[in-house]
Amino acid sequence: MKVKPPMYIAKQSDVEALGFSFTPEVQQKAKALEKMAELRSKMRSLMVMLETCTKCGNCAKQCHSFLGTEDYYNFPAARAELFRRIYKRYFTLSGKIFGRFAGAEDFTEETLGKWLTYYYQCNECRRCARFCPFGIDTAEITIIARHILSELGIMPKFMQGVAANMAKTGNNMGIPKAAVIDSAEFMESEMREETGLDIKIPVDKPNSNVLYIPSSADFFTNVDTMIGAAKMFHVLGTNWTIPSSVLEAANFGLLFDFNVMQEHNRRLKVATAELGASLVIQGECGHGWRAAKMYTNALNGPVPFRLLHIHEFCDEHLAKLPLKKLPIRVTLHDPCNYARAGGIIEQPRRILRACVAELVEMTPNREDTFCCGGGSGILMDEMFDIRMKLGKKKAEQIKAVGNIDYLVIPCSICKAQLPAVLKYYGMDKLEMGGLMDIVGKALDIKKT
Amino acid sequence: MLFFIGQVLPYIAAAVFVIGTCLRVAVWLKAPVPFPLTLFPAANTNTGRMLLIGREILFFDSLRRGDKWLWLWAWLLHISLVFIIIGHIAGIYYLTKQFTLIGFSAETSSVLSGWLGTIFGMVFLAALLVLFYRRLTIPEVKRLSDPADYFILGLLLAIVVTGMYMRLASDVDLPAVRAFMAGLFTLHPVPIPKHWVFISHFALVNILLLYFPFSKLIHMVGIIINRAMITELPPVYPPRRVNPTQGSNRSISLGEGGCRL
Amino acid sequence: MDYVTVNGAQIEVDEDGFIVDPNLWSEDIVKEFAKLESVENLTEKHWKVINYLRDYYKQFGIAPMIRKLCKETGFTLKEIYELFPSGPAKGACKLAGLPKPTGCV
Repeated sequence: MKVKPPMYIAKQSDVEALGFSFTPEVQQKAKALEKMAELRSKMRSLMVMLETCTKCGNCAKQCHSFLGTEDYYNFPAARAELFRRIYKRYFTLSGKIFGRFAGAEDFTEETLGKWLTYYYQCNECRRCARFCPFGIDTAEITIIARHILSELGIMPKFMQGVAANMAKTGNNMGIPKAAVIDSAEFMESEMREETGLDIKIPVDKPNSNVLYIPSSADFFTNVDTMIGAAKMFHVLGTNWTIPSSVLEAANFGLLFDFNVMQEHNRRLKVATAELGASLVIQGECGHGWRAAKMYTNALNGPVPFRLLHIHEFCDEHLAKLPLKKLPIRVTLHDPCNYARAGGIIEQPRRILRACVAELVEMTPNREDTFCCGGGSGILMDEMFDIRMKLGKKKAEQIKAVGNIDYLVIPCSICKAQLPAVLKYYGMDKLEMGGLMDIVGKALDIKKT
Repeated sequence: MLFFIGQVLPYIAAAVFVIGTCLRVAVWLKAPVPFPLTLFPAANTNTGRMLLIGREILFFDSLRRGDKWLWLWAWLLHISLVFIIIGHIAGIYYLTKQFTLIGFSAETSSVLSGWLGTIFGMVFLAALLVLFYRRLTIPEVKRLSDPADYFILGLLLAIVVTGMYMRLASDVDLPAVRAFMAGLFTLHPVPIPKHWVFISHFALVNILLLYFPFSKLIHMVGIIINRAMITELPPVYPPRRVNPTQGSNRSISLGEGGCRL
Repeated sequence: MDYVTVNGAQIEVDEDGFIVDPNLWSEDIVKEFAKLESVENLTEKHWKVINYLRDYYKQFGIAPMIRKLCKETGFTLKEIYELFPSGPAKGACKLAGLPKPTGCV
């Protein structure tokens, strides 16, 4: 690859082991153009968003990626141009006739390297779509470009590793069933020690009404999120279980390949049918919520179950929860995929106001929130410097809130990214974690 | 030459404009929208969607949220353009007497028609110049721009300058222009009035119509189609309708053996 | 692919420095990795963590929950970071010859 992207690239053998076909370099151009032709006929968004841009540049100052990295190609319209210029050259009459005049450019040996470099510096946060006069969503271009790269066998090692774990165990971390059960038992004993109550985390319990899909990180680092959810279900008397076959709210397919997304989503449908559940509740994962809520029907529908986010469920039952407000001052980081892509905006706020003494808002918030910088799976260690730049706007926002006791970051990627970002920008004393963590701590359920 | 510009070119330009634009949009509409791309906060009803889209088209809400100055000049550009077009139709057809329809005297109507033309023309010209300047002086916008982006600004400037010249500096035979336009619309074209600025203005507008379907001016339709996509009603689970392929609950055969993406 | 030399043998590691074949793990590898991970001396405390990780991995095929690791070894998370500057996932797991924990971590 002529342009050296800032992340490790997956090896051919590993990519092929996942079921992808690896296109040799000499055939890459033809295959890429073939994929572009196919996708433009199958996805209206690709054509309309590439062709409607008037190059006004309003998106530049609204994109945390451009503001943080100060790299021209991270400016949304310029990022889209990496694709648009090729698209115009081969698929539009004006591009074919007028060439450079109309903004068309040939596919060169640098093209795919640039795509890999810059489409993996877009967090797919959709903030640009909020400020574009036409509502052009650069995240959509990114998603499609990454899909084309993957179909050519080109993907970051990080994506391939996660997908391999997903295929093998049904979760991103590669946690096998025995470990799921062991971890669940450990958390049960922790809760027993804390509350004196026998709160269960049932795994693969048949005839459950509710299927809860946590993020696999809730079974490794973000234990309090899982505990908070378990406590809530216990108090409500919910007949719930966790499926060991799909212990993953995340769906990395949304972040690099549609077919992988479909396969992971299909597991959800299968697990729900097997365990007889009528309600699926997704845990604290941003893009996973977007994938489940917005893509399930199209990918594997129709599905017979109700689908809610854990925050929607908690909000619905909030009045029934015995909560004792924690004497802390918190602020809420709105994950992009909740606020802009998933419709979870006011629910977390209602929950927080019932659980803590004081909730302060950062600015901007809700649908104008800035991404944490880790969105769309940009969590590779080797991209640390870039990740810190991507998180710069968010760090500034959090610093500006002033004195707070706890930062609510209700998404697994945010939980992986923000501790590193805040440490980098001198705020490592700040305690942070999920929303269900707070619910768990505020639930007044100790055995007296 | 004048025969071509006055009696042949307009038909070619109109055909290319209409057919070209329709074809481009037809290609878009032929492709499905496999996944709902709702941008939240979203509307919950189709009426709500239309309101959201309508507000964007009328007031450029999203642009205003970002850069107030860009919003102001872009909005002024478009609103003045709308009134210029309406003014041309009314002013030429009614020979500047259009305001007699709402009770003004013929004399007042002509003056009013003239003033409105001048004002909107000046606003349009000013907006073009501001946007041109902006495109040249903001580094990332300049780097982003193609020759086509400057071309369209230049073309519009030439059109408005020739138009303003006729408005302010010369005596155009308006009845002759009306007769010429009527000839074109009734498919009985007559020779173009031998007024060089008018001929230039007319020719430039025809070039604009010819160029339209191949350019970013398609954003006129693109805004509606794109915003229709991002305001799509979010899916519900399980699908409410009996036929799950309706509305936002449709499923596509993405993986049934033939349809991988 | 990179290699780390341990007792004359070439041990394959991935781009993150984690051992590719867990079966090749040995105590000598730990000493080599320790140098790369800025762990000055390998004390009894280090070995307690490493052995716990290895046992858990052998039994369950994955690294243990961090909270469980802390509880079972008796160290706080802060202490584990002091022992292994890169942390339990990126530091301790590397020395223990486990695959690098991936996903949202």
